[in-house]
Amino acid sequence: MKKIENSIFKGIVRFLTLFSVLILSFIIVFILKESIVFFKEVYIIKFIFGRKWNPLGSADKLAIFPIILGTIYVSVIGIIIALPIGIGNAIVLSSYTDGKVKRVIRSIVDILAGIPSVIYGFIGLLVLVKFLEIKFEFPTGESVLAGGIVLSIMMLPFIISTCEESMEKVYAEYSGYSNALGVSKSYMIRKIVLPNSKRSILASIVLALGRGMGETMAVMMVIGNAPIMPKLLGKCQTIPSLIALEMGMAEVGSLHYHGLYASGFILMMILLIINIILYIIKRKLI
Amino acid sequence: MKEKIEDKIFKLWIISSTIIVVTIIVFVLGYILRKGFGAIDLEFIFGNPKGIPLGVEGGIFPAIIGSLLLMILSCIFASILAISTAIYTVFYCSFRKVRDIIHLIIQCMAGVPSIVLGMFGYTLLILYLRINRSLLTAAITLGIMIFPYIEVRVEKILNEVNSSIINSSYALGISKFHTIIRLILPICKADIISAILLAGGFAMGATAPIILTGAVIFAPIPQSIFSPVMALPFHLYILTGEGISLQNAYGTAAVLIIILLLINILSLIIGRRKEHR
Repeated sequence: MKKIENSIFKGIVRFLTLFSVLILSFIIVFILKESIVFFKEVYIIKFIFGRKWNPLGSADKLAIFPIILGTIYVSVIGIIIALPIGIGNAIVLSSYTDGKVKRVIRSIVDILAGIPSVIYGFIGLLVLVKFLEIKFEFPTGESVLAGGIVLSIMMLPFIISTCEESMEKVYAEYSGYSNALGVSKSYMIRKIVLPNSKRSILASIVLALGRGMGETMAVMMVIGNAPIMPKLLGKCQTIPSLIALEMGMAEVGSLHYHGLYASGFILMMILLIINIILYIIKRKLI
Repeated sequence: MKEKIEDKIFKLWIISSTIIVVTIIVFVLGYILRKGFGAIDLEFIFGNPKGIPLGVEGGIFPAIIGSLLLMILSCIFASILAISTAIYTVFYCSFRKVRDIIHLIIQCMAGVPSIVLGMFGYTLLILYLRINRSLLTAAITLGIMIFPYIEVRVEKILNEVNSSIINSSYALGISKFHTIIRLILPICKADIISAILLAGGFAMGATAPIILTGAVIFAPIPQSIFSPVMALPFHLYILTGEGISLQNAYGTAAVLIIILLLINILSLIIGRRKEHR
């Protein structure tokens, strides 16, 4: 009896695992399949480096270079803003606080991570975009800059938690020695903790980049969604927002529809390349 | 001298960055809650959206219920699969290669942007399998999205169970099945529930996957899993995106944030209780 129970359980667990792994691999294959149809008709280099996105035009009018640039641009702006703030906060969390204060700041960061992106987009649209329009007299507040600022807020929790973890370890390892030598805390952090955390800082950048590039709602609500070459203070379009806005309208099986899949595919490839670069950097730094 | 200046700059940097983070969170929560409370009353919470265009007046009750249903369904769907996968990889999988492959696939999935998942769900479930845009399709898509999240956490929890307990159980001749069901799962129960709750909050706040797969501008409270559904984040997006009603948008945002905060706090309490034992 026990044996039967045992093997039934094992069977169920095995089946469900197989099922989930199959679903997941199926998704990847499925996206590939839907995009390959497109790449048969449109040359991939042309798709990536062409400048016009006109879904109703002919095949050579479908290209996403400005959109790819927009995706990267917004995320990079986000990182540039978020990184110094995030690292600074991680230093405070790992080295200057303990006990209650640490718990409070940590849970604040957790709350930041738990707020859904649509809320950030909402606030970005109502506060940030308006602010840019009124204070700096931009013709339109919906811009790469606005997207970058909103994204930077969303990236903060990732950067903070990734950096803090390793900084805490480094700090614990060396604080005894440096105290014994009478070295000041800030000197020790600058000369030992920060250089030793290089790898986790890099890792956090990649993690945040991945998050930022895949982010749909918050970015979509504040960048204006115009498929033109991105300028810091002008409108732009990102791949996720392109998909979200146009997928519902695209006729099934049309070039437009497959083009959207192809841009999703390109997005995943960009993320993959970033991750591979990270992997190589990690290896080299050891 | 140089050292002194560097020290000052360094301290200024870290203090100001902490202040910025705290200010941001206080501002975001404060802004939404302060503006939102003005819009929230009983009618808003328990009423249907009314007016032309829809949503100008009235409440968001179907959206609240819809969001909760989406969260519950997607959690059930994802956690059954995720917990099984975690149990398999931790206790049953005897080949390292297989385990590595499973991990690789899960990692790949965790990196797929949510909108791409939404696009997948839309094409497969709605276009190919011809299921209506419904609670079911949205919940499946959300479930796929939170699957890696739950799996990674549950696997970590299972790995952290003291191995001497497991080995003693085996040594007493207790079968693997009984060890897992009677010993390991009860130990991890609180942590696993806490992880699932967090994932549920994540699913509830996600908009991108459900834009294409299920959320609609107006639907009554769903009667079955095949009826279309309203969701709070999507409702918020429509209210602001189409400029329908700012007042109600604030209210919706506040309700969404309050529900999510409650879920997060609940998850924290459940996870914390175990630590004290």
